[in-house]
Parts: sequence; C-alpha cells; structure tokens
Amino acid sequence: MFQPASLKGESPVVIDERIRNRFLLIYLFIIAFSFIPVAILEYLYVRYLWNPNIYLIFFILAPVNIFLMLHVLQISAILISKMCLIIVNLFHKPIQGEFARNIKDKDYFYWNLRNIIKKWPLFITASNPFPWVKNRFVLRFFGVKIGKHSICDNCWISSEFIEIGENVIIGMNSVLISFGIEQEKFIIKKVIIGNNVVIGAKCVVLPGTTIKDAAKLSAHSYTSYDTILEKEQIYLGHPAKIKTNE
Amino acid sequence: MGNKENSQQIKFISTSGVYKTPFTMIMIIQFFVGSFLIIFVNLWYWNSLYFYIFDDIMFPLPILNDIVSKWIIFLLIPLNIYGNIFLFVFSIIAFSSLIYKLLNFLNPPKEGVFEKQSKEWKYMHRRFWTAYFPIWLARALPIPWADIFAYRFFGTKVGKNVVLYEGYVDPLFVEIGDFTMTSLNICIFSHLIYHDKVLIRKVRIGSACVVGPHTVTSPGTVMHDGAILGANSYTWIDQELDSDLIHVGTPATLKLPIQSVEESQMKVEKVKKGGDDVDEVTKMESEIK
Repeated sequence: MFQPASLKGESPVVIDERIRNRFLLIYLFIIAFSFIPVAILEYLYVRYLWNPNIYLIFFILAPVNIFLMLHVLQISAILISKMCLIIVNLFHKPIQGEFARNIKDKDYFYWNLRNIIKKWPLFITASNPFPWVKNRFVLRFFGVKIGKHSICDNCWISSEFIEIGENVIIGMNSVLISFGIEQEKFIIKKVIIGNNVVIGAKCVVLPGTTIKDAAKLSAHSYTSYDTILEKEQIYLGHPAKIKTNE
Repeated sequence: MGNKENSQQIKFISTSGVYKTPFTMIMIIQFFVGSFLIIFVNLWYWNSLYFYIFDDIMFPLPILNDIVSKWIIFLLIPLNIYGNIFLFVFSIIAFSSLIYKLLNFLNPPKEGVFEKQSKEWKYMHRRFWTAYFPIWLARALPIPWADIFAYRFFGTKVGKNVVLYEGYVDPLFVEIGDFTMTSLNICIFSHLIYHDKVLIRKVRIGSACVVGPHTVTSPGTVMHDGAILGANSYTWIDQELDSDLIHVGTPATLKLPIQSVEESQMKVEKVKKGGDDVDEVTKMESEIK
C-alpha cells in the first residue's frame, strides 16, 4: 500500500551494457509499435467527436479517453513484447544452471536479450494506478506461475523461473530473484514457493530457494542459495534459520 | 484493546497484506469525480483561446474575453496544464476523504485482534482502498509535502516540519510528532497479519525522532521523544524505544548513547591507548543500559 514514487520501479534486472547497446533498436521497436493502437484510438476519437454540435460530449468523454489510452498502451506493449519473446525463445530456450558471465556464453546473452524485451511493458505497468497489474497480470503473461488469492503487489519479482502457490502473502519491499551474479559465474535457479506461505516485509529470497507449504519467513531476513524452508516452520535471521523456543 | 500477553506469544513479524476486493473499483469512481471539475475549466479556457486566435467562438458559450486581456490567456497555457494536474489531485483528495469519514462513521476503527472474515477487517480494506489512489497521486506530484497534506486529510496526526515521503505508512492509527524525520525506504505498519488473524495497534512516534533507512516499525511501537531507530533494524510488537537513545538490531535490542563526533573519537582514542580510562567508558555505557 501507499507505494512511494521512487519504489515504483520494474522487476530487478541487471542488463549488460554491451548487449543493451547492441539491441537498442529492438527496445525502440517495441516502444514505437506499442503506440500504434493508441494512435488509431486517438484518431478515431478526435475525427468523430471534435464537432461544434456535440462539443460537450467531447469534453465529458475526455477522461474516459485518457483512461482507455493508458490501458490500451500497456496492453499493446505487453502483447508485442510477448510476440518478440516467443520468437527469441525459438532460437534458444531458457534453462537453469550455472553459466559464465561472458557475452560469448549463449545463456547469458539470451537472458539479457529477454530482459531488454521485457523492460518496456514492466516499466510502463509499474506506473499503473492499480497496484496488482504489474506483478499479477504482466508476470503471469510472461509465464510466472502465481496462484489464486496471492498478495504480491508491493514487491519485486523476477520475470522468469518463479513459482508462487495459492494464498501466499509476500511483504512490502521484498525481493524474489531467480538469478545471481557471483564474480565470473552467472547462476539461474528456480525459486519455488508453496501454498499458504507468509514472507514478511523487506525479505530477500535468493535463487534456488524452495519454501514449502505454510512456512513463515519473518521480516527483514534473507535466505541464501539453495536453502529449503520446511513445512509450517518459522524462519528468521541473516541468513534465515529455524526459530527455536529458547 | 491490545493485551500485552498477546504480543509475547507472537513469534514472527509478517507484513501488512491488503488484498484485492470489489471495493477497489472505487478508484475508477475517484478518477471520474476528479476529472469532473477539470472538464468545465478546460471548456472555458480552450474556448477563450480559440476566440483569441480565430476571432470566432468555438462553442456557443459566454466568454470572458472582454474582461481579461487577450495575451494573458496565451500566457496561461503552462498554468492550465499544471492547474489541471493540481485540481485533479486535490479534488480527488477532498472527495475521497469524505468517503473515508463516511466509512469511519459506519464502522469506527478499533484496535485489537480480529479474524480475517470479520467486519472490522473488511472495513479496514475499504478505508485503505479509498485512501490508496489519492496518496498515490499526491506522491506523484512534484511538491514533497503533498502526501503529508493528504495524510492529514485522512485523519493521521502528523506534526509540523516532518519529513515523510519515502515509505509505506499506514493512514490509520499512526501518530507522528513535530520535527520527526523518517528516512528512505521505511515501513510503518499499524496492522499485521498473523496466521488467520489480523492485529491492529496504534503506532506512536514522538517529536524529534529519527526513523532510519530500511526499517520496519511494527504495530504497537512507541517511540518516545528524541528516540532514534538505527538503519536496517526493526521493532517488535508493542516495543517501547526510550528517549534520546539510539536503538539498533533485528529486532532492536541494543541501546547506544547519542554523542557528538568529537566525543566518540575521543573515546576511540582512549580505548586504543588502553589504561584506566577504558573502565570509565564501559561504566558510562552500562549506566545508560
């Protein structure tokens, strides 16, 4: 709730600058093409309603027009980037594992390319007044599994290799990432979160973590790589350990 | 009201989870109510501008062109754009604070522990979603105190000269005193989800306090005047932070005295040299504890 303006950003992605500069045209292509449906809408609106006889209707429908314009832009951005994503995935399928942090490495290269493609829709939906649009709607579209009735509106979630169960509550400012950069290594591992899990505010969940059903992660703690949080247990600390009654 | 015994049973701090309800569609109503005033202002403005350029009336409306000299209207374009934004935001704040007061009248807010399906929790959601869009908008404005203005409209007690624009702050059951500074990326929760229950307690932050960056303030926390919550720490439920001390830890357990830079450097030098002075330093700190 009550998200401050500076935290309205998209999911955490670190795009390699060397790859970003080379594929800037694709990024601009997605932006330009997502504006085409908006342009058609605006043309129709002004063409048929800018008339001295019905000027009141033009002004009264203006807020509806602006509201529609924003959402048409966002939906068309999502659709176009999804199309590009399907084409890119035909060349190289996303897989988990440990890779070298090098442009010549195919997985690292395609991971960056996918993030460039996803950047514009995530960026533009982050400024949607409805808080659930960015995480629940867009990430589900990009293939992240998010169960029913899960609350994950005010946290940052990576856009691939994440599974979230049903009735999950993820706290404010929490970060769920499925990639890690360790010096010369680049790691992609799946994060699996079961049903009825509660993750507190400001937690960090690192790649490879599996949180089983009804486990609780207390606020302000983080999990290290490949940890497994057991069923119905409470975890706490840096890194998170089982809480025992002293 | 809150039992002190209840808070000791709590084993972990979770988060405030406010989920999507049908009531969230109030945002669409707020959007159109906010744009209602703007429509009429723009009707008059663009009509007058059209008259100035083409010497013709665009719409059959009475115009004020004879009263206002013509070039002023041309100069007013930037003011019109900014005025639209401000008028939109402040009319939404005024409208939704009315709804907020109506909800408070229907179901007065209470502290305590509630079930998830209870009436109080449902009304809590309704209050949150009415306050959400205006505060979201106020934070998008270029003036930093706009959201403090909005918070005051919703009944939160915020003192004067307060820094409060970078964090998740609940609008209900939060009191902040004068000259308090809250830092970046903070959470001040007055409600918390615990298993199937919801805990609502009042958070009191006194005057001249400092809430450090990346901190979580749990419900029931009382910060006395001049208390400092250090960076990257959180408070437990119903915790009291003493005045004029620095509190650090996860949860905050360590207390440190506030001292000037010269004082602390002197102490470090004394400790480095060793000798009898070391005991004095430890004595001083133990007295405070």
